[in-house]
Parts: sequence; C-alpha cells; structure tokens
Amino acid sequence: MNIIEKIKAYIVQSISDITPDEIDADDDLLGSGIIDSMGMMKLVIFIEEELDIKIPDADMIVENFMTLQNINDYLLQRKDVDLKQD
Amino acid sequence: MIQVKDPFIPLTQSQLSLWTGQRMHPDAPLHNVVYTFDISGDLNPLIFKQAFQVLVDSTDILRMVFNEKDGTPYQHVRPKGAYDVETIDFTSESDGQVIQQWILERTQAPLQLSERPFDSVLLKLNETRYIWFLKLHHLITDAVSNALLYQRMESLYKRLSNEKSDEDIASPSFADYVDYEGQQREDPKNKASQKYWKANTSNAPDTPKLYGKKEDGKSTATQRVPSKLGIERTARLRELANRPVIRSWTEDLSLFTLFATVYAIYLHRVSGENRLAIGVPAHNRIEKRFQKTVGLFVEVLPIFVDIEEDDSFFTVLKRVKSETNTYLRHARAGTAPVDVKRSFNAILNYIQADFPDFWGFPTQTEWVHNGHMDSSHAIRCHIHAFNGKNDLEITFDLNESVFSGATPDHVPHHFLNLLDALLDDIDQPIGKANVVSRQESESLLGELNQSSEASVSVLKSFEQQTAQRPNAIALQDGSEILTYAVLNKRANQLAHYLQSQGIDAFSKVALQLYRSSEYIISILAVLKTGAAFIPIASDQPSDRVKYMCKNSGCSLLITEKGLNKIGKEGLKKGLDSTTVPTLVVSEVQHKISEEGTSNLEIALAPDSLAYILYTSGSTGKPKGVMILHRALSNYVQWAGQAYGVDENSVFPLFTSIGFDLTLTSTFLPLISGGRILVYKEQNQGPDISLVHVIEDNSVNVIKLTPSHLVLLSGRDLSSSYIKTMIVGGEDLKTGLATAVTSAFSKDLRIFNEYGPTEATVGCIVSEFDAGQHTGTSVPIGQSIDNLQALVLDSHKNLVPRGVVGELYLSGAGLAFGYVDDVALTAAKFVVHPFTKDAKMYRTGDLVRINTAGDFEFLGRIDDQVKLRGHRIELSDIEANLAAHPDIENCAVVVVENKKRIPENEVVNCIECGLPSNYPEIEFNQDGVCQLCTAFSNYEEKVKRYFKNDDELVRVLTSKRVQNSKYDCISLLSGGKDSTYVLARLVNMGLNVLAFTMDNGYISDQAKANVDRIVTKLGVDHVYGETPHMNEIFVDSLHRHHNVCNGCFKTIYTLSTQIALEKEIPFIVTGLSRGQFFETRLTEELFWDDTLDTVKIDNTILEARKLYHREQDAVKDLLDVSAFEDDAVFEKVQFIDFYRYSDVSLEELLAYLKDKIGWIRPTDTGRSTNCLINQVGIYVHKKEEGYSNYAFPYSWDVRLGHKTRNESLEEINEHIDETEVQRIMKEIGYETEEEPSESQKLVAYYTGDPNTSVKYLRQFLTNKLPAYMVPTLFKHMDEIPLTKNGKVDKNALQNLSSAQLSMDTPYTAPRNEIEELLEGVWKEVLQLKKVGVHDDFIALGGHSLAAIRVTARINERIEVDFPLNMVFERPTIAEYAIFIEETLTELLKI
Repeated sequence: MNIIEKIKAYIVQSISDITPDEIDADDDLLGSGIIDSMGMMKLVIFIEEELDIKIPDADMIVENFMTLQNINDYLLQRKDVDLKQD
Repeated sequence: MIQVKDPFIPLTQSQLSLWTGQRMHPDAPLHNVVYTFDISGDLNPLIFKQAFQVLVDSTDILRMVFNEKDGTPYQHVRPKGAYDVETIDFTSESDGQVIQQWILERTQAPLQLSERPFDSVLLKLNETRYIWFLKLHHLITDAVSNALLYQRMESLYKRLSNEKSDEDIASPSFADYVDYEGQQREDPKNKASQKYWKANTSNAPDTPKLYGKKEDGKSTATQRVPSKLGIERTARLRELANRPVIRSWTEDLSLFTLFATVYAIYLHRVSGENRLAIGVPAHNRIEKRFQKTVGLFVEVLPIFVDIEEDDSFFTVLKRVKSETNTYLRHARAGTAPVDVKRSFNAILNYIQADFPDFWGFPTQTEWVHNGHMDSSHAIRCHIHAFNGKNDLEITFDLNESVFSGATPDHVPHHFLNLLDALLDDIDQPIGKANVVSRQESESLLGELNQSSEASVSVLKSFEQQTAQRPNAIALQDGSEILTYAVLNKRANQLAHYLQSQGIDAFSKVALQLYRSSEYIISILAVLKTGAAFIPIASDQPSDRVKYMCKNSGCSLLITEKGLNKIGKEGLKKGLDSTTVPTLVVSEVQHKISEEGTSNLEIALAPDSLAYILYTSGSTGKPKGVMILHRALSNYVQWAGQAYGVDENSVFPLFTSIGFDLTLTSTFLPLISGGRILVYKEQNQGPDISLVHVIEDNSVNVIKLTPSHLVLLSGRDLSSSYIKTMIVGGEDLKTGLATAVTSAFSKDLRIFNEYGPTEATVGCIVSEFDAGQHTGTSVPIGQSIDNLQALVLDSHKNLVPRGVVGELYLSGAGLAFGYVDDVALTAAKFVVHPFTKDAKMYRTGDLVRINTAGDFEFLGRIDDQVKLRGHRIELSDIEANLAAHPDIENCAVVVVENKKRIPENEVVNCIECGLPSNYPEIEFNQDGVCQLCTAFSNYEEKVKRYFKNDDELVRVLTSKRVQNSKYDCISLLSGGKDSTYVLARLVNMGLNVLAFTMDNGYISDQAKANVDRIVTKLGVDHVYGETPHMNEIFVDSLHRHHNVCNGCFKTIYTLSTQIALEKEIPFIVTGLSRGQFFETRLTEELFWDDTLDTVKIDNTILEARKLYHREQDAVKDLLDVSAFEDDAVFEKVQFIDFYRYSDVSLEELLAYLKDKIGWIRPTDTGRSTNCLINQVGIYVHKKEEGYSNYAFPYSWDVRLGHKTRNESLEEINEHIDETEVQRIMKEIGYETEEEPSESQKLVAYYTGDPNTSVKYLRQFLTNKLPAYMVPTLFKHMDEIPLTKNGKVDKNALQNLSSAQLSMDTPYTAPRNEIEELLEGVWKEVLQLKKVGVHDDFIALGGHSLAAIRVTARINERIEVDFPLNMVFERPTIAEYAIFIEETLTELLKI
C-alpha cells in the first residue's frame, strides 16, 4: 500500500464519515469539509508517525495538504522521505 | 448487539470541571445553555412533539442524569419514557416583551440534574410563528451538540411529516466517549501532549488584570454585550483571511487566527501584559465515531501569545498561527491537566455551528444569555454566524467583578478599533493603533481645570501680606522672631545689597545655608532682585556644590561660615573662590544694614526663572530643574486654597531645603499671612528635627514624607495641634495613613500630594478618606488647577480607563527644562501628542485611573522588571509582602549577577596575558593591563625582595643543631617546580625530607615520577594523607571555586605537624614567583618609598598566622591546635625556594630532563600532576569566568618566568568535562543554586526578625505566581533611605550575594572614617557597597585581603595599624571606632 492509500484508509477509518470511493486524489479535503483543521492536524501527526518525519509549521499550508495529490507531491519533494519503501 | 454497561458512568474531565463549578454556585444558572429558534411557518405542534419524543428516546445523553455517590459524581442513562414537550400559547399576547421576559426567566430557572438536565418548550406566537425554546445543561451539550440536536430534530420532524417509518435513528452513545476519554488519559501516545499542557499550565503567567481589575473568582454574574461586525467588515475580513500569506488550512481556521490575533493584542492593550493565555475550546471530535454524538466534548485549552513592543499585526499573526498549530497538535481528549483552567481568564470561542432553516421555514436562531458564567473567566469573546455567514457576530460576556461602569460598553469598540486597524494595514505596528475611541479620548484628556492662572508672583503675595499685617509674626527661628514688616525689611536690605553686587533679573544665586531666618530672607531677597535662587542643602559635599554652581552658571553663592569647610578633604577640594564669588551674610551684615528698606518693585514675569532645584541624576551628577514663576505661583496659590492655609497657619521648616517638597513649608505660610517655625538641622548626624517639631507641638500644618510618618508610629499624638498634613515625595500606604489618623485627633486632614520636581512640588492631590481608600496605597487623586495628567502606553496612546500606563504631565506647572542638558530636556519634555505646541513631562511613574476617577500611583516604570520573560511590578510584590502582619516595611529589588564578558570577547593583556574578564581589570589603549602598568613603578623594589641561592643555603643551615637529621622538609608534588626544588636542595648538600600530599588524585605517572625521583636522589620520603580530603575539596570549591586552596592548606598543616614532630625547622615550598603574588605578596607591600624586606616578611608572617586560623574545612577536620600558639611559627618556618632561585621555565625543564629523568605525565593536564586540578579550573571558570591560574601565571610572565604564550597555552587548556563531572560526583560536590540565573528578586524587610523566611515565602506563594516570589529575603533593622527620604534601591541592589546571605542588616557609612573604610573595603573586596556592620570574613576577606586593606588604610591615615585588627574588628563600624580612638590617643600625645 502506498502512502496515499494509507492516508486515504486512515481518513476513512479514523477521521471522516466517508467511504473510500468518495475521495478522489484531487478532491479538496479541507474546503469540502471532509476534514476540518483538527482532523488535518491528526492526519499530519499520522503522516509524521508513519514516515518518521517532522512536518514544520511552515509546511502546514493549504498548498501542501488540500488534496491527496498535494500531500503526495509535498512528500515527494521532501528529500528525507522515501515513498518507495512502502 | 447490545452490551450491558455499568450503569454508573464516571464524568469526563470537562464534565467534572463544570460539575465542580456548578456545585460552587448551586443557584446560579451559569451552565444553562439556551437556544431559541424562532420559526416562521405553520409548524405542526403534534408532529413536533412526536419528533422530540423520538429524539429523547434515541439520544442517550438526553436521558442522562447526574448524582453523587460517596462524594463522587456519576451519571447514568435513564430508561426511555414519555416526554411531553410543553406548549405555551402566546397568541393573545401582543407585547413581545412578555415573551422575552418569559424566555429570560425560563433560561435562568435551575435544572434538576438528577431528574432531567434539559427543558424543551414550544411557544406559539400565532398560527405561523413558533419559538422552540431548548435549554440544556452544559454537562450534556456543547456548541456542536446543539447544532446536531437541532439538525436531528429537524430531520425527525421532516421524516414524521412525510409519514416515513422509523428507520435506525439511534444516535451514537455518549457513554462510549466517556470510556474513550478514560482510555486516552492512560494512552502512552498522549504522553507528549499531556506533558506539553502540564508544563505550559504550570508556567503560565498570572492571569491579567483587565482595565486594572481582576476577576474575584467568586462572582458568576455576567453582562453580555453583543455586536455585529457588519457585512462590509465581514467581507473584508474574509478577503484578508484568504490571502495566501495569511490563510490557514480552512477559512474558519484563518478567521479564527485573525480573531485570536486581534484578541491577544486587545488583551495586551487593556492589561499591559506581554504574555497572554487565551482559553480556546477544542471540539475534541477528531475520532470519526464521535462526530455525530451529542454530549459535552468540548475542552477549553490555552493558546499562549507573546507580544513584543515592536510587533506589527502581521508579526503577531504569524506567532498566533504557529501557536495555533501547536495547540491543534496537542488538543486531544484526555491530555489536559486538571488545573488547566487556572492558566487563563479570557476565552475566545469561535463557534462553528450551523442552524439551517427548520423544514424550510425561515428560522432565526438566538443563543440566550443566562446572565452568568464561570467565575474564573473575566471575559469571553464569542464569534459566530448563526444566522448567515455574511455578517459575523461578536459577543462579549463580561464578568461583572471586572467590568463595571462604562467599561462594558467600551469593550466592543476597543476590540473593533484594533480589528479595523488590522484590516486597514496588517503590517502597521500594533502600537500605532488606537484603542480608545474619540469620545473616550476627550474624556480622558479631560477639561483642563483652567482656573484663571495666578498672575501674582509669590513674592508679590508676600509683600501684600506684609502690607496687610506688618506686625504679624512671619517667622520664628529659635529666639529670633520676625514680623512680616521686619522680614520684608531685611529681605529688602539684602536685595539692595545684592543689587549693588551686580545681581539682576538674569542672575542665579545659590543658597547653601542651614534652615534659618537667613535662608528665608535670602530667598526673598534673591526674588526681589528678579534673580533665581538655587537651594542647596547644608549637607551637600563641597564637590557637589561646586558642580551645581558651575553647572547652573550662578553668579553668587550665599553660604555660612563653617559650611563647605568640613574636614581635610573638604579644604583641598573646596570651592574655588575665583569661579563663584561667595557671600557670607554675617560678614557684611554691617553693610547690609545700611541698605535701603523699601520694596524693589521689580516685576517678576511669569516666564522668568524662579528657582533651580537639583535632583539626583541617573548619571551620578545632579540635574538642575528650572522652574518658572508661573509654575511656582500656580502651585503655591492653588495649594494655599486647597489646604486651607491662612493667617492662623503655622508651618515647621524642618525638611531639607534641597528637596522641593520643602518649598511648600517655605512659601505657603508667607503668602497666606501665616507663620514659619524654623527647625535648624544639626551639623552632623541624622536630622531629628521632626522629633522636635512633634515635641514642641507648636505647628498646625506640616508637610512631610511617608517615611517621616513611619518615624512617628507608636507615639500618642492625640494632643497634637497638627490639623493638616500634606504628605508627599513617596507612595503613601493606606495602612500608614490609617495609623496616623488614629494617632492624631479626629479632625486631622491628610492630603496625599504627588508631584515630581519637574512639575513643581505637587500636581495631583487627594485627601485621604479612610472609608473610601481601601487599597494598599492611598490614591494620588486628581490634578490640580491648570495641570493636565495623561496616562499613555509606551507608544504614547491614551490607555483606557483602569489600564496601567505611564503618567505624563502638562500645563502651567511644567519646568522649563534641565540646566545645560538639552538632550535630557528633550528626552523628558516631549511633544504633546494631543495639544499643538505644548510639551508634556514624562514622569516615569506608572499610574491608572480607578473607578472613582482618581489617579493611583503604582510605582516607577523602572520598577517594572522583566524576569525570565515575565513582566513584574516590584511594587506589587512589596504590597503583598507588606500585608504580612510581621512585616513593617519592605522593598524588593532585582539583583543582577555579575555580568560576564562572553568567552569569545575576552582579550588578554598584551604583556602578561591576563584575561579581560579578570575582575575590575582595565586595559590601557595599548592593551596593557593596569597590573602591568603599576608593576613598572615598583618592579625595582620587587627585584630587591628576591634573593640568591647562597642566602638560601645560609638560611636553611642557620638552625642546624646537633643530631638533627633533616635541615628541611621539601614539599614534593611530583610536578616540575617542586621536583626541581628537591633536586636543587639535595644538590646544595642539604639534608632533606621529601613530603608528598596524597590527595587521592595524583596520577599514576606523577606518582611514578615521585617514587623514581626520591629513589634517584636518595632522599627520605613520606606521604601525607587524610580521610577528609574530599570534604576539604568540596569546601574549597565552594569557598574559593578551586581545589588548590584547600589542598595547599592541608599540605601546610600536615607537613607542619611532621616538622614539629621531627623537629625540622624549615619547610621549603615550590611556589612559583607568580604564586607569591597570589598568596603572599601584594602591590601594597611595595608602596613604601624604601623597601623594608623585614617589614614585608613580618607582614607575611602575620598574614600566615591569620591564614591558619581562618575558618574552613581544614580547621574543622584536621588537627590545627599547633597553630593556636604563635610559637609554632618560630619553630617551623616556611621558605619559598623560588624567592632565592631565579630560573626560567626552559632552564628548569632542561635541568629536570638531564639530571633527574623527570617525565612529564601524559595522564594529567599540562599545568599539573594532579587529576582533580581540572575540577578546580572548571568550577573557577564556570563561577568566575576565568581560570584560577590566570592571575598567578600573569605574575610569572611579569616576573620573567614564563612567556605570555606559555601562560596562555596553559590557562586555555582543554578540560575533559565528563571526567570533571565524574570527579565532582565522586567527591560529593554539588553546584550551588542555578548559576545561570542572571537576575534574582530580593526582598528586604523590617519587622519581626524571628519570622521564618520559609513562612514568608509560603505567604507570598499563596498570593503571587511563583516567578514573583523573591529568591532571597533579608531582614534589616531599617531600610536605607536616600537623602530625600526615599528608599535607596540602588544601595539595596548593589549588595553582593555574600552580603545578602548575611544576617546583618545593611547600614550605609555614617561618617567620614566609615566612608573611607568602605572605599578601601570596596576596592580590595571588589564590592559595590559595603554595609558598616558587614563582616570582613563573611565578605570573602582573607589574610591576603587583610594585608591589602591594612596597607591601604595605613597609607591614607598615615598610621601603622596592625594586620590582625581587620579580624579583631571585622566590621567597618568597629574598625572606625578603633581608628577614632587611636587618633584621639595620638592627639593627646
């Protein structure tokens, strides 16, 4: 399972009352109300624990977290993350 | 599947907190959460009722009831049962007020928690309008739950209306959340967050006072102030929230961040605090399964915001954003500590709850205020958009114990003013934004009490009185009684004389006189010539008088015989008569008597200079305040009326004439036809004139300071004639005023007068009223006529009423400025921001306006200190400490630890290498230290002190007796110096016993060296040891911050014992010449013009005796009885080898290598053969900043035994910290209190000396946050005062830590001899202040310091005092008496 699938599974399981089919990679997680800010922080902590990284305040911006695709892109450009390992 | 649950469900932490709050206020409806939904449509009440029944049946929290069992509350779910929604028909009611009244009453009606914690009523207004009234106890709901209930109710109604069958409509259970919360509390995953909240809660600053007031913790009564942002503002706010640099994850979070930013700045502006904690409810529904559960989930947790003075709105926003992230990270169920709510008193509640229209009917939602809130909250700010997102609503709930009068109405304005400033320009400094609105400004600026300004000068008033009552007594000075006519005549004669001496309207005349008729005559005379007078107190030192005369450019000094000529010192540095002519009136009285007696009739323009008064300046030089006639008249004329001074008034003139409060007693009687009674000061010693004033009981008005009043305590003054008391100069405590009121007769009036010299004597005044004035201090009241008092923040904005700010003064009383100090004048007399072309004086005093409209003095702005980030008002601590019954008076200061030069900024003397962080060292422009510079002056003498090898042999063999086996003991450490000594002694043919101290830390290689050397040299050798070595090390580290002192003393003690035992007459040390200057020699010994080595040796011997008798671990733990008898110093003499032998390091090493086979140990540091030495260096560097070898090595360099580089290499040697820590642990050395604490609070107090400090600390801990509780408490016999009778904080601040830990109170030097001694003590002990009762040894004085102190005293007094006198009379006071006695004896001969 790649990280995006893991994140999706986590959202469905622990954060939002939504089914996996209802989230597309380009869906606005924040604006559509799938996740609120507290939920997003929960997701950030999940990603941090899952990948053993730290996401600094400066990176916690809409551009990096609005959609699953954004999250993926953000993590890809981080040199300390090896997404392939999963 | 249904699980059977424990019927007794515990409460969650949030519930528990609410439960406790409700129990404290059982009758207050503070947790009744009430909504009304105003539904416009033909609702079917029957279906509505059915729907609600289903809602109750399907929602467990609605059936939850609360009880207590054995003191522990619990909840349980009642079985389903019929619930009938009450319906009330208001169709016949046309008055909307009636319905509102019903809603209010029903809202406040208590809920029975054990029965049914909710209430639901349907009000019918007409066929198409209903109001659903829903009331729930907060224990079962929160904002999201309310919306959920509403939405469920609506959907149930919809479903039942469409006659759909019941599907699964069970709402998730709240009981599950209770379980979950309990688990979370134990979950190790939450450890970090629990730790975060705990740390931040316990470190939280004290909750702020808002508008100067703090919640009383008891009242729940609350005023709700709603307001709307308006559509335009809301739109602008949304636009801003969506800007890329501002926006957060969601628009709601962005808006929250913006509101939190404004809220934090608002709280800062209305409290003056820089670190704010804002309680923010966390919805706590991050678990998916609880998102639709109804119940109390919300938990209030703090966000901390630091505000800096130079912040812009945007910089605060960035900080808030980051803090919000931290908050979101940690805000999870089960992480908050129980006492979290203690950390905040301000709530920001950004409500995200949606109440859509009910089944398509237009619906207006209202959150009804119950009139109460949690008593620990001062203010709550709710942001919501219940009725449409385009117009945000902002609602303030204000605790009535904090907000009263007009303040609640100001709150939304103050908040919105800041919000608008943010919207206008988010990058503008927060200090630029105005909080107060224009209308409020006008009231704060006040209407200047513009009574027509006095056009009559004080002189004119006096002359008018003279004309009216020539024969009335104007002045009485002892037996001399002057009527108005006589006083005026004599003043005229002197004025004519002064005129003849060239004094005119442009002149300034200094008056240094005792309080006397002459002083009053002189003032009047000077004024009559049109000149300005400069009053100078009789006890001013001549240097200062000289400075004032020069600085003011005065053309004449009128003084008296005997003044300015006290003491030898005075003569030398006395007034240079060529610069300022001096007039002694008595000397020319015969001429003056011949002068004319008529008034001079020189008009005194309001803008001409009346006087210059010198006050102490922060630079150490006094500063001259220039007061115009306009200002003087304004005060004096106002005061005369306000204090009811008339022809029957008798004032004592008994305070220092250099103090501006004395001008009241000088002028008020004379312009009113009253009388001055002069109390002349004594020539020396404390001025006890007040006692005479009271005992004489001849005056009825008195002007004095609170410190004077303290002196009166305990006296019965009920028969005193004093009826009017004007108190000024210092903060007047209510307790003192009350005590004075009861000591005097009932009709005493006490006026509390505030006023800096710069605003002429007094400018804000209140009359003490025991009934009204219940605070710690008597308010200073209101400004006098023609004077404006403003309270501004650091950006010169008006602060709202109640808020603390700096006092600025403007108007007629303002000084013209400081003499010859344009810069200071410009800094203190600043442009008035609200009145064109006007100036205002910046007082540096903190004040606020209380609810009665009176100014309250809260201390000096300098008293406001920042300690570890907390802003602390020292006066606040003082007021709390003073409330303790055992405390009479107290003062709190911040004591700074010695400032260290950062290591990378340390430079070394280019000659000797001494580092610049060595105490009190100064380098000249060439980079040479003053020790080197001074040394060049006595270098020759030092050379003569040293001797040669031959002399050494002669000395060491001088006491040879038959059968004695050894000539001397040679102290052998195994290091290069001592090895060389031993080898040379043997080489000289002497019989030597080698002695090595085994301190437990000699390295293996060093020990091998020792054993090899003694074998090779064929000398007898003994090891000395003691089981107490580690204790001695620890003591030495504490006492001297090194290990060597303790070790050396042990060596001397043990080797002396052996010498005595074996009758060996000499012990030879291997101390380097540099070490002589560390332990034996001082510069002072070479001061004599002719070098007398015998005298020096005797002095060193005397010092040695003292050294062995000093109190320390060696004295406690070893047998030192031998040193009690002076004979031991005859029997065993110490000889320093290197005094006789001059060898360079290079030669020495070559000798050791070639002749002895000494190998430098590689298992120790370079400068040693001992493993523990580096502990000493480490501790010394840590405590003092530099190596303990820096000083002796600098001497080695100076004396040519080392090069500068060799020395630097050794003192900068690397230290193995791990090893150091290990050894410190091994010997049991624990560092004393945190040395990193650069500042600490110290409380000085007078009162019961037996009160335990622990008790005082506990007392304050109960009243103040931990960071405000002083680290040290010091009892004093009296608090030192400055000459003007104010607490001398400077003196208190400059006491060293040794002085602070002493039991003796601080007393400043009281006479010239004590001052001289203090000077010497300070130089030698490197202290800033020495109290006359401070003990020399406790101050760190030791035998070497005794040499230096004694030499310096002897030099200055030109007497030979013995060295031990410093120890026999170890205080300045005692030593001073000894000096006096000796001098008296000498004079007799």
